[in-house]
Amino acid sequence: GCGSKEVATEEAASKPIKIVAAHNQTSPENPYQIGMLKFKEVAESKSNGAFEVEVFAGSLGTSESELVEKLKLGAADVVVVSPGFMSQTGIEEIDLFALPYLFNNYEHWGKVVDGEVGKKMAKLIQEKSNNEFKVIGYWTAGVRHYYGNKPLTSMKDLEGMKIRTQTSGVVAKYWTQMGSIPTSVAWGELYQSLQQNIVDGAENAYPYFVQQNHHKTDNGKYITETGHDYTTRFLLANAKKFDAMTPEQQKTFLEAADAAVKAERDALYAQEEEYKNIAIKDGAEVNEIDRAPFIELAQPLQDEAAKEIGIEDLLKQVRDLK
Amino acid sequence: MLGFILIGIFILFMSIGVPIAFVIAIIALLGISAAPYIPTVTVVTKMFNGLNSFVLLAVPLFILAANLMNRGQISQKLINFSIAIVGHVRGGLAHANILVSMIFAGVSGASQADTAGVGKVLIPNMIESGYDKETAVGVTAASSTIGVIIPPSIPMIIYAGLTNASISSLFIAGIVPGVLIGLGMMLVVYILAIKKGYPKYERASLKKLFKLFCESFPALLTPIIIIGGIITGFYTATEAAAFASLYTFLISMFFYKTLKLKDIPDILVETLTLSCLSLFALAAASALGELLGYYQIATIAEQFFTTYITQKWLFMSIVIVFFLLIGTFMDAIPAMILFIPVILPTALKLGISPILLGIVTIITLAIGLVTPPYGLCLLIAAQIGELSIEKSFKTTALFILVILVVLIFVAFFPNIAFFIPQKMQPNLF
Amino acid sequence: MIIKTIEKIQLRMGVVALSIFFLAILIQVFSRYAGISVIWTEEIANYSFIWAIFMGAAVMVNRKSHFRFNLLSQKIKGKKKIFLDITVDSILLIFNVFVSYYGIIATKSFWNYRWVAIQNFKMGYVWLCIPIMGITMAIYMMGHIIEGVKEMKGVE
Ligand code: NA
Ligand code: NA
Repeated sequence: GCGSKEVATEEAASKPIKIVAAHNQTSPENPYQIGMLKFKEVAESKSNGAFEVEVFAGSLGTSESELVEKLKLGAADVVVVSPGFMSQTGIEEIDLFALPYLFNNYEHWGKVVDGEVGKKMAKLIQEKSNNEFKVIGYWTAGVRHYYGNKPLTSMKDLEGMKIRTQTSGVVAKYWTQMGSIPTSVAWGELYQSLQQNIVDGAENAYPYFVQQNHHKTDNGKYITETGHDYTTRFLLANAKKFDAMTPEQQKTFLEAADAAVKAERDALYAQEEEYKNIAIKDGAEVNEIDRAPFIELAQPLQDEAAKEIGIEDLLKQVRDLK
Repeated sequence: MLGFILIGIFILFMSIGVPIAFVIAIIALLGISAAPYIPTVTVVTKMFNGLNSFVLLAVPLFILAANLMNRGQISQKLINFSIAIVGHVRGGLAHANILVSMIFAGVSGASQADTAGVGKVLIPNMIESGYDKETAVGVTAASSTIGVIIPPSIPMIIYAGLTNASISSLFIAGIVPGVLIGLGMMLVVYILAIKKGYPKYERASLKKLFKLFCESFPALLTPIIIIGGIITGFYTATEAAAFASLYTFLISMFFYKTLKLKDIPDILVETLTLSCLSLFALAAASALGELLGYYQIATIAEQFFTTYITQKWLFMSIVIVFFLLIGTFMDAIPAMILFIPVILPTALKLGISPILLGIVTIITLAIGLVTPPYGLCLLIAAQIGELSIEKSFKTTALFILVILVVLIFVAFFPNIAFFIPQKMQPNLF
Repeated sequence: MIIKTIEKIQLRMGVVALSIFFLAILIQVFSRYAGISVIWTEEIANYSFIWAIFMGAAVMVNRKSHFRFNLLSQKIKGKKKIFLDITVDSILLIFNVFVSYYGIIATKSFWNYRWVAIQNFKMGYVWLCIPIMGITMAIYMMGHIIEGVKEMKGVE
């Protein structure tokens, strides 16, 4: 209702603390949902009823910027968002995780987000948001690959291709430097756009584009495993709400977050395999490519972006973990 | 308990004449401030976010296109041409009225602009030629509903935004039912014309027909360019809307020379005032949708339906009856914002494609445009014809039967109704 | 008098926002066909659209043009009708006081948020349309109520 949402500590002991957990995916099999349900399960069972978690799968908003707004206003307590949408809150440093070819593989990614860099980023987010956002875990939405009307054998093949990807920022710059034309198409319209030559290709992770049948279109059936983005997603909590909890509750809350992280990643990794196989079974062609020239092209862009937002030290740390 | 209080306030405020959009927003405000764990400020942020969507941008663009058609007298050219084609049949003007609405529908995404633009010319013309007022008003109102069924269509764009269904698939799927409704209405006119002895025009000479055809050719081209462009994927819906406006602007400015630069400010004001009404209602409905989302109404509905209703046809019938009722007092756009998210999960569970659900919903809500108490097209036509709502509705009802027949055909025999689009895009149906 | 001026300014603001919106869309369409990617058009179009709609909606409140059921107000006459109008206007006034209040809170909260494509632009300027809409609607309603009360006295 009206007014303040802070839960007084004394009150918390008697009445369960309600946690509104929300993400933007509506499918019940989505890894986000699996992760959130794990969070609910652990938080409720380990807290002796101190927590009551309700999970909203897309019903509190399907846009990420809306989820961030909700978290800030206290209309949601735990949300998942991507770096792009976080940086609009004014915390530019988050863009680090969106740089192309920042990570070599999931192992490298895991070392970064679960290690020192992840801790620093979490601290930065909490400070720069005036103690409003607390990172309680790093999730992933998979590794993104190219898919289009022809298999890539070298970077040259991208020349003049209209690719559906971000049309601003470092990512757009990267695709432009490779010779392609970044084009903006709404996700729900992408199937049509691929089918009708509005774009010649796109890039995403297997579970996402295979579920949308993009691999069944002529402009989407050649998949080249470019692996240009091992995506990071932030599992964020309302920091004020967290601070109001008893130390014991905080411990349980974080335990639940850890369990959720594991569940989400496991589900995603499994689905990535599953959907890759579905794509192949449906007749899509998958090929691999030497990533070295792609990585080489990305390096100066990474340097430039890191310098611009003043996170050269973080970038170095990420690279050192390779 | 809270639910009952809110419904009570809803009915009370509606009946004393609080604007509908505001009633919706007030219910959202009350509900959200009473609900635990949602800060009340969410009401305004949700109104903002409800409008912050790329698909909605097509709405004012299509309204602009329709305004330009009316202002630039393109509607008049289309009317002249339609009369030349079907004027010689008994009840020719009524047939022309329907035909022009079908062509107009191919450019405009809304129905009201058609009622107003075509009605202003044809209602007086029909009455003068010896038609009774009821028929003049009824045909005009009923045929303008085709505007949202034949693409482009604003409700389809909104629906696509709500469900992530493809706009162009919806557009393609709307063509056959839209044309069928038009032809069905012509059949009704034909029967009425014989019974009541409506007048007919002399058949236009081939020479005159050709002259009129040439004159209206650029205008006739508009729907072909727009629908063709969307189907072949040459442009997206928003782009099509932009293009429609630009094209109508250019031909009425430079080809017909019926539009002057000094008309532009007026057209802009008209476009703004017309667009903002339904879009503000949409913003308000988004806020109320947040409340429904918070109580997970969609999940409850899904559980309810999947327990008690397992047949597709039964679910479809419920959807149709429900939207028929809602449509009598609410605009199509807020109605969809509030209820599509609630029924969509159930439809998917039952194996009903989002495209089918969309077309059925949109045709059903189009009927709401001509049913009292709140049927915008009926109100506009009645006002032009200076006829009471009750009398206007009497002839309109006959044509509503046509829409219902087509609706039932689409809802229960989708394989026949969507035969062509299914062939074009097999995995979307 | 003052209300007339406010309405005029507000309508102009709405029309200007709508024109910016049209231009941005046209630039976007043409740039896509030219194969150039112009990144700022989408956000400009979105936000000027929201401004236009909310300004237009406020003007339409003053003109009593929002869709409503007027069965009851058509049936009654004189003092009763004026009283009904004042009641409806008061409900709208109270609602708009809330919209203004929460609109200010939202604008303050997101003042320093950035646009995605144009990082130097603040989201605050976009959110500002809500409190402006709320405050102007409230002013219009006060105007209607004052006139209603005057009219009521005239009937006596
Ligand atoms: Na149409
Ligand atoms: Na008509």
